Amino acid sequence: MTRPDIDPARQMAAPRAKIETRNLGFFYGTFQALRDISLPLYDRRVTAFIGPSGCGKSTLLRTLNRIYELYPGQRASGEVLLDGENILAPGLDLNLLRAKIGMVFQKPTPFPMSVYDNIAFGIRLYQRLPKSELDGRVEQALRRAALWDEVKGKLRAGGLGLSGGQQQRLCIARAIAVEPEVLLLDEPASALDPISTQRIEELIAELKVDYCIAMVTHNMQQAARSSDYTAFLYLGELIEFDETEHIFTHPKERRTEDYITGRFG
Amino acid sequence: MAAEHIIKSYDDELARLSNIIVEMGGLAESQLKAAVEAVATRDSVLAARVVSDDDKVDRLERDLDNLAVRLLALRQPMARDLREIVAALKIASDLERMCDYAANVAKRSIPLSQLPPIPPVHALPRMAQLALLLIGDVIAAYAARDADKAIAVWTRDEELDEMYSSLFREVLTYMMEEPRNIGVYTHLLFMAKNIERIGDHATNIAENLYYLVHGTPLDEARPKRDNSSLEVVPPGLARDAR
Repeated sequence: MTRPDIDPARQMAAPRAKIETRNLGFFYGTFQALRDISLPLYDRRVTAFIGPSGCGKSTLLRTLNRIYELYPGQRASGEVLLDGENILAPGLDLNLLRAKIGMVFQKPTPFPMSVYDNIAFGIRLYQRLPKSELDGRVEQALRRAALWDEVKGKLRAGGLGLSGGQQQRLCIARAIAVEPEVLLLDEPASALDPISTQRIEELIAELKVDYCIAMVTHNMQQAARSSDYTAFLYLGELIEFDETEHIFTHPKERRTEDYITGRFG
Repeated sequence: MAAEHIIKSYDDELARLSNIIVEMGGLAESQLKAAVEAVATRDSVLAARVVSDDDKVDRLERDLDNLAVRLLALRQPMARDLREIVAALKIASDLERMCDYAANVAKRSIPLSQLPPIPPVHALPRMAQLALLLIGDVIAAYAARDADKAIAVWTRDEELDEMYSSLFREVLTYMMEEPRNIGVYTHLLFMAKNIERIGDHATNIAENLYYLVHGTPLDEARPKRDNSSLEVVPPGLARDAR
């Protein structure tokens, strides 16, 4: 995805690992859901996590902003380095962490409030801005999420009244309104129709110019179309991580090949 | 071959694709065999049949194209499956070309059979024998998805190139000795060239098979022994002929 206003050299430059997991493990009580996962998530690139249900891909995504801590009995081991700093370390400010790492879920989760307030809510948590500036930030987030033209006349209407695809873009706008550095997308388009899906994919392509994006998807074609890197997980282990083009043309591992070609028993 | 797909009909369609290739390969062999027999026995009825049978392979190629496009559109193939389909498309077009060359050999044998026999024509069956071997081997390699066997075909085409080169020089000498028969010899040269080209298409198939199996191109330079494109009539000989 090239944008005329962005220096192409900046887009083409060798990727830098924004996040790096090192020997990451994860436990639901005594059940180990992730084993020894070490992989980089590059800045300004999209990384897709693929694998059969229960392989740990959503779990992996959930460790990256420690959202699992909302549930008792869940814990991670190893390290997750965000710009070199271990975010699993105790004493870290979770609110600050989640402002840096935004997340969008499979089902759109707009707050039961107006379109405007859905976006402004997050900004107000972290900053106190005059009304005019807040308006500007809301508009900017909606524009970046490719939703502005569709909602600019009904900012005061409820967010729940939007279509599924619009609600999902509203959630993406809400996530980027607080200016995070990383976006985690958990099957962001799996509940959407093909047109809305393509809008989301187009949006991902535009957003990756500024963010490090990690995306869980069950849709092989979507992973192939929208990501730069792909990680294949199976039974809690990282089987293969490579450039998406390699994974989908000639993967190194037999298990990866069997999965992406639909041969998995 | 790899394990079966979860969706059984996908396997059936891929198998059908592969069967068409093998069938086309069989046709390429039988067409070339018949064409050269028509040359050797000066049988213009047989030659005409080879020319009209060329339709069969064209039909098979169309069937394969349709099936391949259907698979690409409906199955969204990945990795090895994708290579299977892309390779099948390319291999089919090589086989179709091979059959065109065989038909052309048959076509040229008709005027040749109306004229007195010329000695170097005996080189054609020998060349054809090797070409048939290459086709048979590369199709067997394809059926077994055997990349090593493909490389063997790829290297062996060299022999066919050499046979063509030496026939080229021989025919050139005859042409100078019997300028009256230059038309017959020209037909003969084209026929030999056609068989030599069949060998080149066999190596193309070998390359595509290698790519199918390994996912990387076979990119070393292949030895080339057909030097005829560099040949000229030696000035001394040209004067003697006058």
